[in-house]
Amino acid sequence: MHINYWHELIRNNFGKLGLAMLCFVLFIALFAPFLARYDPGEPSHAIFMPPSVDHWLGTNDIGQDIWSRLLCGAKNTLLVALGVGVFTTLLSTVIGASAALVGGIYDRILMRLIDALIVIPAFIVIILVAAYVLPNVWTLIFLISILTWQGGARLVRAQTLSLKERMSVYAARTFGANKRYIIVRHIIPNLSPILFAVFIHSATRGVFIEAGLAFLGIADISTVSWGLMMHHALRFYYLDVWKWWLIPTGLALSVTIMALVFIGHALETAMDPRLRVMEQEEWQ
Amino acid sequence: MKIPEIGTYVISFLIILALIFLLPRLMPGDPLTAICGDEVLVEMTPALKAELMHRFALDAPLWKQFFVYLTAMMHGDFGYSYYYNAPVLEVIFEALPWTLLLVGSSLVLSTVVSIIIGIESGWRRGKISDKFMLTTTMILNGFPNFFIGIILLLLFAVYLGCLPLQGAKTPYSGLSGINSMLDIARHLVLPLIALTLAQIPSSYLLMRNTMITTLKEPFVRTAKAKGLSEVAVRYKHAGRNAMLPIVTTTGVRVGIVVTGALFIEIIFSYPGVGLLSYNALLMRDYPILQGVFFIVAVFVILANFVVDLLYTKIDPRIGVDNAEYAH
Repeated sequence: MHINYWHELIRNNFGKLGLAMLCFVLFIALFAPFLARYDPGEPSHAIFMPPSVDHWLGTNDIGQDIWSRLLCGAKNTLLVALGVGVFTTLLSTVIGASAALVGGIYDRILMRLIDALIVIPAFIVIILVAAYVLPNVWTLIFLISILTWQGGARLVRAQTLSLKERMSVYAARTFGANKRYIIVRHIIPNLSPILFAVFIHSATRGVFIEAGLAFLGIADISTVSWGLMMHHALRFYYLDVWKWWLIPTGLALSVTIMALVFIGHALETAMDPRLRVMEQEEWQ
Repeated sequence: MKIPEIGTYVISFLIILALIFLLPRLMPGDPLTAICGDEVLVEMTPALKAELMHRFALDAPLWKQFFVYLTAMMHGDFGYSYYYNAPVLEVIFEALPWTLLLVGSSLVLSTVVSIIIGIESGWRRGKISDKFMLTTTMILNGFPNFFIGIILLLLFAVYLGCLPLQGAKTPYSGLSGINSMLDIARHLVLPLIALTLAQIPSSYLLMRNTMITTLKEPFVRTAKAKGLSEVAVRYKHAGRNAMLPIVTTTGVRVGIVVTGALFIEIIFSYPGVGLLSYNALLMRDYPILQGVFFIVAVFVILANFVVDLLYTKIDPRIGVDNAEYAH
């Protein structure tokens, strides 16, 4: 059964909307230097300014232009999304696929480890580790990935196991295909949809965890992070500034997460045959 | 009946122990402040330093340190907070009931609400009301829990001012009996709603999907054919069976709710372990941080274990060798 996942994604309304929103955020991240009217890190004497023609979203407690910072934060968020997505998927694939292909005691040990790790609340471990390490963007990406690969690895392992038993693989083997050929030509191409799903889920989690940590104040102060902006803004909830400082930042973060969630949901629907048939009827 | 893999939970527990032990000791810098927190420097004297070095056996090899650390833990000694000037366990136990109240009520509320709207939504698959519920929860899914908390705080406590802004009860109010309980309930409303709203989307989606697949099972057709009322088919037959995945994921959800509570408590200054660990984070009060982390992690591991134990009872198919049911 061959399903064109890209096609499925575009057909699903959530998928369409999610992709559009993600493209929008991507556009902002790429063109932030041209769209921003001020240097996002530049403090000024004009503090707590309400929105005006000069400062569309006013200024914060040290006089930085909030609109410029909001635009600039998109880059940080998408960088984390991409970094965590790629790195976690890589870890999940290597560990999950190797467990399925090697099997035996290696598989048993890894599965036991995965089961044990899944029970531990990862976010809380990350908070504790980050409290000691005080990570920058790159160490944070590494930290999140190294602590959250387990769910993806289990999925990849299950999928690889079922792929291994496919008729096409048996057929290739009877024609004398070696292990490497089977992995490269049969296993990896057929894994790609599930890898894309793992990528999207990891990216979503990465964005959420980065924002959460920054919101707790655990972040590199030199980066412009939406979570960190909310952390600072919440301290001034008793002033009116939350209307143009806290809320727009939270909405920007939510739009990004929402885009990824929508895409993830569309993918999930595309991959579950029982749901796919029916959602097509529903959403056309 | 299959006994859950106790070994897995033992490994989880050991990972937690090892993490708490290794983190402060392997970090660059002075392990003593990494173990005791920055506040210890205020009252640091050569005598105290010598005593602490001896207590944690910091000059001994790592394996010996681990032995000392384990012995202390087994005696219930989780260290001493120099910020609060009290044993860690004492400080944590003071905050723990509030977190348990928040987490417990949110877990129950979000589960019940998700099950009901999941059943209704799955039953009305494709209709306007289903689409509405699906779209609403998908949008809600995009909002991080702390932003939901912030919106509720700003809207109801700051802007409308109809609910309390922070805390778990009115300080020095001298309320007692029923009034004190009402006061606590009033303070609980916003954090509870925020935390619950953040949990609903994933549980609802799971419930709706299972409901949809369950409705295609032959036994549902049988129930309909028997002439049972629609409500009976929907809830007693299809709904009850569709609930299984929600029940079996309870252990994982406990972990998510506890993590969520941490953020919600900070926003509403709710005096549970989340707020405690946030203050510990700001003060570099590492003993508290380690203690909270240990207790929360062990609590989540235990919850998973209990759910694992229980669900073989709820779903007999899991207990028996699966081969029997495979065909």
